[in-house]
Amino acid sequence: MGPIMKVTAQPADTTLTLILDGELDASSAVILDTELNKPELLNYKKVLIDCQRLSYISSAGLGVFISHLQRLQDSNVKLVFYNMQEKVFNVFEILGLDSLMTIVPTEKEAQAA
Amino acid sequence: MPKFRSSVWLIVVAALCWLLLLLGTLSQGHTLLGLPPDWPRWLLLLAQGGFAASVFLYTRLQPDPLSGHGFLALLLRLFWRGLILTALLVGVQAFVRLAADKALPLRGDITASVGYTISLALFIILLARTLYIWRSLVNFRGSPRLQREWTAFEVILGVALLFQLFEWHTPDYIRVAVITGLGLFGVYLSGHQRWVAYLSQGQKLQAIMLQLGVLGFLTLFLLYLRNAQADPALLTPPTQQAFLILASFFAVFYAVAGLLVTLFNLPIADVYEQRRAEILSLQQLSQIIQRGQTAAEIYQALFTSAVQTIRADAAWLDTPAQPIETTGPAPAAPTHELLPADLVALRPQLAALLAAGQTEIIDNDLLRSQRLVGLSQQYGSIAILPLRSSTHDYGHLLLLKKNQAGFEPEDLSILHTFTTQTVLSLENLQLAQEARISQRAQDELRIAALVQERLIPKHLPTDNWFEISTYAQAAKEVGGDFYDFLHLPGQRLAVLIGDVSGKGVTAAFHTAQMKGIFHALMQPNPLAKKDRERYPDPHRFMVLANEALTHCLERSSFITASFYLIDYEAGGFSFARAGHCHTLYYHSIKEEVSYFRSEGLGLGILRDASYGRHVKNQFWDYNPGDVMVIYTDGIPEARNADGDEYGEERLAQMLGQCFYQSAEEINQYIREDVQEFSKGLPLHDDQTLLVIKFKSAQPQP
Repeated sequence: MGPIMKVTAQPADTTLTLILDGELDASSAVILDTELNKPELLNYKKVLIDCQRLSYISSAGLGVFISHLQRLQDSNVKLVFYNMQEKVFNVFEILGLDSLMTIVPTEKEAQAA
Repeated sequence: MPKFRSSVWLIVVAALCWLLLLLGTLSQGHTLLGLPPDWPRWLLLLAQGGFAASVFLYTRLQPDPLSGHGFLALLLRLFWRGLILTALLVGVQAFVRLAADKALPLRGDITASVGYTISLALFIILLARTLYIWRSLVNFRGSPRLQREWTAFEVILGVALLFQLFEWHTPDYIRVAVITGLGLFGVYLSGHQRWVAYLSQGQKLQAIMLQLGVLGFLTLFLLYLRNAQADPALLTPPTQQAFLILASFFAVFYAVAGLLVTLFNLPIADVYEQRRAEILSLQQLSQIIQRGQTAAEIYQALFTSAVQTIRADAAWLDTPAQPIETTGPAPAAPTHELLPADLVALRPQLAALLAAGQTEIIDNDLLRSQRLVGLSQQYGSIAILPLRSSTHDYGHLLLLKKNQAGFEPEDLSILHTFTTQTVLSLENLQLAQEARISQRAQDELRIAALVQERLIPKHLPTDNWFEISTYAQAAKEVGGDFYDFLHLPGQRLAVLIGDVSGKGVTAAFHTAQMKGIFHALMQPNPLAKKDRERYPDPHRFMVLANEALTHCLERSSFITASFYLIDYEAGGFSFARAGHCHTLYYHSIKEEVSYFRSEGLGLGILRDASYGRHVKNQFWDYNPGDVMVIYTDGIPEARNADGDEYGEERLAQMLGQCFYQSAEEINQYIREDVQEFSKGLPLHDDQTLLVIKFKSAQPQP
């Protein structure tokens, strides 16, 4: 069984948008990790994560964001999540990540953040 | 092209000799074309000998007419040639008879002489053809020694030609002895009829018919020559008797011997032995497969079988350094009669040939092709066969033979059977070994599970002011959930529950670590001024645990935990939540079920001092009858067949239905409902469920 998630990268001037589609679990976490590991990522001011079609996130999926958090912060790259489904948001919230990461309801707010 | 040139020359020489012979024969008793009559006898013998020698040499230079197992095609070709030559003989003789009867306007004696010369030529051609086809059959699968013997036979035939030429006047008994000896040599050579063993029943019948035909033609020619020599009308010098007799004798005897062998299926020990060796080798190989021995033994079996069956003069098995994940040493590459210098020469060339994409290499004429440089000149043919499956390269088998054309299609098909068997058994062995390794891994996992099982507190703390019930189930052999209790002095109880992200052995390790951290931090601090400060409060516990984990948790891993410090004397508890599931609580006075929704970040996410700001110490006063349900996310995230999650809401409802029961009954009620929810599905995640029910203190019994 292959990964059941798709990551689409949409680069703009100073912003990189990653659109997640599917379930982010241990097997698909690798794809996202590869994407976040790219050195050019640090050239952007902001990385927006579109979570509209992200239907599930496991602890391994959270682990990917956690492991890149410090690196992005050190390079002054802002990580912003938006369009998050309630179920997925609950997972972030229970773990306390909502106090560490910027999670906003809409793309407009994400662009403004 | 030297071969082409020598063939042409031989034809020219043969034609000239024949013309000379014709003129010489005609000159007997006549003056012809102004030449003197009655040419000397030696000139005629020389012409005859020269013709015979060049025809034989010409035939000898032709490529081996036998290809593969085409024995019947070979015999058929000989038969047709014999038929044509015999038809020509009959035609010529009919002509001669007609001339003798004055039916034609030709001089009878001249026609007879010409006819005789033509017939003699036809006979010599037939003899040469027959002899060299028999050569192919004699040497079929023959040893280099046999090839040398054949060459010796040819030389002796050549010497026999000279016998008459120089009119050696040897006593009759010596001549008889020599000719008998040579005849016996021919008989010995006629014993080499290996090819017959490769005929099917139907083919044998055809072979018998063809051999009878060839015998018939030879007999016709011999009868004619005998009559012709006795014919007083023919003035001719004696023929090259010794040579012709020997050659004819061998030609006829080989045909007769072949006929007998074919007819009576006489065992040709050699061939049957070889066939038996092939069968035995195959059996040996398949037995080794069944016994599942080591790779080295399988390689050795293949090597021995191949060398014995094919009768290779030298051989080498090139095995990869570590063909299979064996624990033992890599099997040694066996060699057979191979000079170290040759091995040194072969090794890089084999690598180069293989790198060039060649897999199987058969060269039946090494001396000419010079495909392998630096190899000692004694080898005539080589076969290199790969031991390869679709996924693995198990090495190469190299066989060398001194004679040329050493590797017939038949040999190769046997070798292919051997190599296929070997690859199969090596693959089997590998599968067996992989199974053994995975078995060992499973055993070790089982041991890990046992160790983890031992880490789970067996003796639950008991006191008259609370009840505890626990339930834990790992999804795999080892899990990432953990919980622990510690009774502290002064009617206090510390409770820890948590979940390590990820699964498997790594997660299991960290659960053991958390348990260690828990017990280390719960040691009384002797420097504490107040009794209450002897143990860290939940906030401090989390900060210290986070710090301890910083050094040993992979960057992408984290741990969620909840820590409770319950104090009976104060009638309350303090707690901290580090990213763990919210605690479910039944409030007996308000008769209400609710979650403690507090903030708190998981352990290992922030690895610096700032973590302390993300976790909070909270306090709660309890009443007797209150129920606390502590669990891991395996409970609310349990799924049903439709993929729906069990959810916090249903969990709360369940507690609302059973809060009045004992801790054990509540625990059972909830877990049965969860199990019913995901009935028939494998456990998706580890599940842990703790129920603590507070009671009014009863006097100790």
